[in-house]
Amino acid sequence: MFALILPAVLVVAALLVGPMVLLARISLNQYSATQLMIEATTAQNYLNAVADPYYRGVMLTTLVMAFICTALTLALGFPAAYRLARMESRWKSLVTVLTLIPLLVGNVVRAAGWLGLLGNDGLINATLRGLGLTSEPLRLVYTPGAVAVGTIAVVLPYMILTLSSVIESIPRAVEEAAANLGASAFTVFRRVVWPLALPGTVAGCVLVFILCMNTYATAVLLGGSQFKMMAPAVYDQFSKGMNWPFGAALAFILLAATLVLTVLGTALLGRRYAR
Amino acid sequence: MGQVRAGPGPDTVTREAVTRMRAAPLSPLAAPALAGPGLSVRLGRLAFLAAVFLAYAIVFAPIVMVVVTSFFDQEIVTFPPDGLTIRWYLNAWAQRDFARGFLTSLQIALAATAIGVPLGTAAALALVRATIPGRGFINTVLLAPLAVPAIVAGSALYMFYLRAEDWLDMDIKATLGGLVAANVLITIPWTVRLVTASLAGLDRAAEEAAANLGARPLTVFTRITLPMLRPGIVAAALFSFVASFENLELNLLLVGPGRTTLPVAMLSYLEFRMDPTLAAVATAQILMVTILMLVTDRFVKLSRIV
Repeated sequence: MFALILPAVLVVAALLVGPMVLLARISLNQYSATQLMIEATTAQNYLNAVADPYYRGVMLTTLVMAFICTALTLALGFPAAYRLARMESRWKSLVTVLTLIPLLVGNVVRAAGWLGLLGNDGLINATLRGLGLTSEPLRLVYTPGAVAVGTIAVVLPYMILTLSSVIESIPRAVEEAAANLGASAFTVFRRVVWPLALPGTVAGCVLVFILCMNTYATAVLLGGSQFKMMAPAVYDQFSKGMNWPFGAALAFILLAATLVLTVLGTALLGRRYAR
Repeated sequence: MGQVRAGPGPDTVTREAVTRMRAAPLSPLAAPALAGPGLSVRLGRLAFLAAVFLAYAIVFAPIVMVVVTSFFDQEIVTFPPDGLTIRWYLNAWAQRDFARGFLTSLQIALAATAIGVPLGTAAALALVRATIPGRGFINTVLLAPLAVPAIVAGSALYMFYLRAEDWLDMDIKATLGGLVAANVLITIPWTVRLVTASLAGLDRAAEEAAANLGARPLTVFTRITLPMLRPGIVAAALFSFVASFENLELNLLLVGPGRTTLPVAMLSYLEFRMDPTLAAVATAQILMVTILMLVTDRFVKLSRIV
């Protein structure tokens, strides 16, 4: 049986685990303008990243963006997931496929769509101008707001699918019992659906938060040159800066921040509602 | 996405009984209550439907937009369009970056699927059917490529490839082999995930019956297990292909001049301009993904596996 598992495990070990160890080692090396990289064991790259106000700003932007987008995605995704979970007709499978397709269409494709919608001559500005509401185009694209909307559009299908699979497993009879006993729709949601769906909510938020922290294409294409998030900053170090040790350190800071916050979030939410 | 379950599974018997008993649907969020709901109830229901609509509007707005602009007659996207045309589709194919990017992505995704699906299927089979020590750990390792941010994994592979080029004295970065190897990291975890999900629903009785009737293990595997697994494997192959074809971040540092994938070519183009030619390329991809997912859904109900 091991013979069946071994090839796949070896491939993942050779192409993911090994390279990640190498990247960790490189993050402890020293950068040199002439030799690119000098073998060393120093935490200097990490200290530099934390001390530099520019990268502190990039990290803060990334965190704020990820929190806002996750919260809004949950607020928008929950009603849609509930509706999908409680569908009973043959439409349900069609709606599921429809929810899944955007998830598989690349982020670049969707950023292109947002550029067409939000650009200076885009649909929204053209409509506003046509209605005589504005004379100058509104600056919609290349703003943090554009990145937020673009990111939410990317991660919403993940949230909807995760939540709906959990809501589906809540027996409808439980809701009906609460309603029969006089609970209002909001009370049923707050006291019955929300607590029972909580494991799914946590899982969905963790997944979405990770995706938001690592936004690349949306941030690059909709954020403009002034707006910087962590994933593009990592890429820049490797492709343009050629400062590999610093880029490696940034990559691990991003990875660690994501990991610590998701573990912390899961533990906090789990404890608060565990009973 | 699908592993999370809350509380007990749906009690279908109770649910059916309740459905039969109730005169009017009472589920407060899903269906209208008894005649004459109060204003606040109606407003609440309206807000609920508005939220559902808004969620799907945000998801589909950019996709619809791309499809629409690919037919605009003028070169710079402005509203309203001067007219409609399909010439951008021909123009897109005439652009070497897009045509070559498409062919490169196609090659990479096909090869990565051809390698990753057999490896992933074998591993999933053993993980579900055999009792192996450390099964949970192996499962985590095999799914890890989906959990590590693609830009971080891509940077690690980039460094690894440069190191390996030094050792082996050969080109790896921006070669077909290097890119296929990277994309196998996408196809293996998706295959493990989808085949595991479809294996979990299979009844072992048919295999046991065949073995009892004297079939050798290999015969049982080729005549019983494999045919039962076929929908899961087809779904895994289509899903893996699409995930690899559409991937941007993992390949970003591994491509080079002369060998670029389609998403990377589109990204560099979009950093300068958004025009109907790019929208045409994007629309072709949307069409491809839609068709492949509808085909996948015929083999395995996607609502069951995601």
